[in-house]
Amino acid sequence: MSRRVFVKGGSLALFSVGLDPLFLARAAFASAAPSDAGPILVCLFQRGAVDGLSMVVPYGEREYYDARPRIAVPRPDVVDLDGHFGLHPRLAPLKEWWDRGSLAVLHAAGSPDPTRSHFDAQDYMESGTPGVKNTADGWLNRYCQHDREHAATPFRAVAFGPQLPRILAGSAPALAIHNLQTFGLGGGAPARDRLTEAFERLYAGTTTGLLASSSDEAFEAVRVLRQANPLQYEPAAGAQYPRGPFGHALLEIAQLIKSGVGLRIAFADVTGWDTHVNQGASDGQLAQRLGEFGQALAAFATDMGERMRDIVILTMSEFGRTVAENGTAGTDHGRATAMLVLGGPVNGGKVLGSWPGLEPAHRFEGRDVAVTTDFRDLFTEVLARHLDARELAAIFPRFAPDPARYPGVIRT
Amino acid sequence: MRYASLTCALLLAPLGATGGLRTERIVPLTPMERDTVSARDSAIHALNRLAYGPTPGEVDRVASFGVMRWVDAQLEPGKINDEALAPRERALPVLSYSREALARVYADAARERREAAMGANTMMADSEPAPGPHGRLGRALTDQYVELTLIRAALSQRQLYEVMVDFWTNHFNVLIAKGADRFLLPDYIEHTIRPHAFGRFSDLLGATAESPAMLFYLDNWESVAPGARPPGWRYRFGVGGADSARRARAPRGLNENYARELLELHTLGVDGGYTQQDVVNVARIFTGWSIERPERGGGFQFHDWAHDWGSKVVLGMRFPAGHGQDEGVRLLRWLANAPATMHHVSRALCQRFVRDDPPDGCVDDAVAAWQRSGGDIGAVLRAIVNGADFWAPANRAAKVKTPLVFLVSALRVTGAQPDSSLRLPQVAARLGEPLFMHAAPDGYPESAAAWVNSGALLDRMNVAVALAADRLPGARVDLDVLLGDTPDPAELVAAVDAKVLAGTMTDNTTRVIEDEVSTVPNPVAARALAVGLAIGGPEFQRQ
Repeated sequence: MSRRVFVKGGSLALFSVGLDPLFLARAAFASAAPSDAGPILVCLFQRGAVDGLSMVVPYGEREYYDARPRIAVPRPDVVDLDGHFGLHPRLAPLKEWWDRGSLAVLHAAGSPDPTRSHFDAQDYMESGTPGVKNTADGWLNRYCQHDREHAATPFRAVAFGPQLPRILAGSAPALAIHNLQTFGLGGGAPARDRLTEAFERLYAGTTTGLLASSSDEAFEAVRVLRQANPLQYEPAAGAQYPRGPFGHALLEIAQLIKSGVGLRIAFADVTGWDTHVNQGASDGQLAQRLGEFGQALAAFATDMGERMRDIVILTMSEFGRTVAENGTAGTDHGRATAMLVLGGPVNGGKVLGSWPGLEPAHRFEGRDVAVTTDFRDLFTEVLARHLDARELAAIFPRFAPDPARYPGVIRT
Repeated sequence: MRYASLTCALLLAPLGATGGLRTERIVPLTPMERDTVSARDSAIHALNRLAYGPTPGEVDRVASFGVMRWVDAQLEPGKINDEALAPRERALPVLSYSREALARVYADAARERREAAMGANTMMADSEPAPGPHGRLGRALTDQYVELTLIRAALSQRQLYEVMVDFWTNHFNVLIAKGADRFLLPDYIEHTIRPHAFGRFSDLLGATAESPAMLFYLDNWESVAPGARPPGWRYRFGVGGADSARRARAPRGLNENYARELLELHTLGVDGGYTQQDVVNVARIFTGWSIERPERGGGFQFHDWAHDWGSKVVLGMRFPAGHGQDEGVRLLRWLANAPATMHHVSRALCQRFVRDDPPDGCVDDAVAAWQRSGGDIGAVLRAIVNGADFWAPANRAAKVKTPLVFLVSALRVTGAQPDSSLRLPQVAARLGEPLFMHAAPDGYPESAAAWVNSGALLDRMNVAVALAADRLPGARVDLDVLLGDTPDPAELVAAVDAKVLAGTMTDNTTRVIEDEVSTVPNPVAARALAVGLAIGGPEFQRQ
């Protein structure tokens, strides 16, 4: 319990939104858990290679319409951003954040390695070492290994899904939570608590080593979670998360953040982007996925409210897709794609990066959007400017991090 | 039994038992008892490391049979009667499919998918079409192979063989989720890894090098000499339009992926002294090592047109111009017995069998045996097991079980019967080790650091409790057979110590479990709780 934090939180509340009772209640709650204050990074991986040209449409470019007679998003449907690019109509819920300057788009971003294998490209994006397959750990885990700025709570880095993804694998503790409601030992409340206590006593007898430290962390996590009681959860401001695993993951991230358990890094997957066949345009397969994606992001941002000033959501995908539609009204594996950055610290309302254009001569191998921003420049900027990470060279080995190459997604 | 008696003594002591009773229990053991104790200890250690843990009664059986005799028998799996496993294998049709037959299923499924996609009502489709009969059959066969892997690990009498199959599966890792490897993997494990698991390393290496599964996984099948074009390429790919994707996919040049992993992971090791130029030249040597189309069986095929026929130098060794597939064979034969390879692979074996950080002595013994035997894997294993490091007290129970070893050893120790469904593999996945799903070519790691994290430990506890209560999906357990039941907590805990932990239960564990079960009046529930705590507790995480 820290009185200083409470006073600080309370006065901020008075300045920022007046006497909104909901926010005051939240500030008071946050005071009970000072570890909750500070920056949070939410990484979302669009597995399967999202078509960046449908997500953020270069509708001002003739080549876009020429190359995609059946699957281009028609001009009148596009949600205009800057006169040249516009959001896919199903991403309209995000426009509000763009208008407030909290949503930036980085276009033509991707890997320096030209592989078009999902598996290799995902692996490189998660290990943070394009072209090198045997990197043992992921870059988010390496960030945690070198993070001395923030307290190491059991919930510092959490992946929402059944397994710890490559990006969080490594020697720093990280949790994989499939479902907050079943995290910890199973069974009804009294039996479960007994069992937890029994196992805790069993492992207390293990004096040293990994088993001892990991079990300590495990039981601490269970205890912290029980106190925080995130199971009684009602999203704020009427936020409506879409049904499905992705909406559920974002809802649980919001729950954990509001529980004040010290969440610093959250990670979740969202699948279904490998649209080789019948991709659709304003409606259809991809539109349906984008709808769920946009709705979930908007619900999360709405739910987090004022807390968004400390949160950055970063989306990524292993590569983009061909500029031209293929023979089955879909798109094949390409190179660059668009990545979204959303949150209070974001230098938003802009499409960032250097746009190579869609003229065949400017395409990679004549077919794909060329990569003009190495994803590592984006990731290093977010780590450095949002999380205050210092040891970027250790987090991205065989890479020379350089602020001069930052795409500028975070306000300075 | 010494352990059981000691446990009783320790239990009684705090309750105010006479000092006499304690003293009586620490009298030195007779020579015969001592031999029995050490034979049991050795049997426990051997079964924990060279098998997936003991089954009920197995520690005593191995101890009385003779531990080294048991090791010798395990090294000749062909002579071990495995009749309990045979009907389970026969029940899974996947084993009766040849690679050609699996490839046909795959080709049919791919055609079916294309047809469904073309026929689907264009743009409004909100999801991909469900797989048709061929797609479902292909998926079912792959699933069966995954199920079979756990069934074999749990039930086979050829335990060391199954442990070694798992070792090589990781050493020569292939990801089942990567495209064609979904249908190539069953054949790969069954006909590439398994026949050579105890054979010569050079044969195993050669078999993996020309296995379609590895050629696909590490992209060598599409690595071609720069500028090389398949015969009739213009004709086949020059039509434009719908063919643009195929044209873009036509091979363009070298792919170094296999060459690099061959040197770094399969043979020499990352410090094996090769350069980037060596990697390029190895890649050139393997140009043309490719795969038949699935419709034709999906087997190995050497493409003359794709091969780089120029001269090459690898690690100072000259490969003159004009050679085809034979130069790859020559390189593999040389790599298989290169000093760095012997060291690299021996080290991995010592890490698996002795300690996460393998002792130099173990590696030296293994390398010496490798040299003497020309890379006979059985001889290398024998040298490791005969070495002092294997039996050193400091190295016993010094490794943390991987998720697979934890799960299978829990099934074995309780005498659980795995069913033929994906449910147990899903438990393995939940524990962090989905079978054949390690994406990177280095295979699942062997060291504790990679596996022990807080969420994973909680998952192990849940699996332990569920298994003991016969609630674990995919396996049936009958604790009546294992333990009987007793209303006396101390008796119960002593029995659990003997049957589940082979007498290695610590004082703390004994105390905690006894406290817990003494509050549970129902003896069946108490028994399940005691077994669940023992399997989820710290002793059982070690091997």
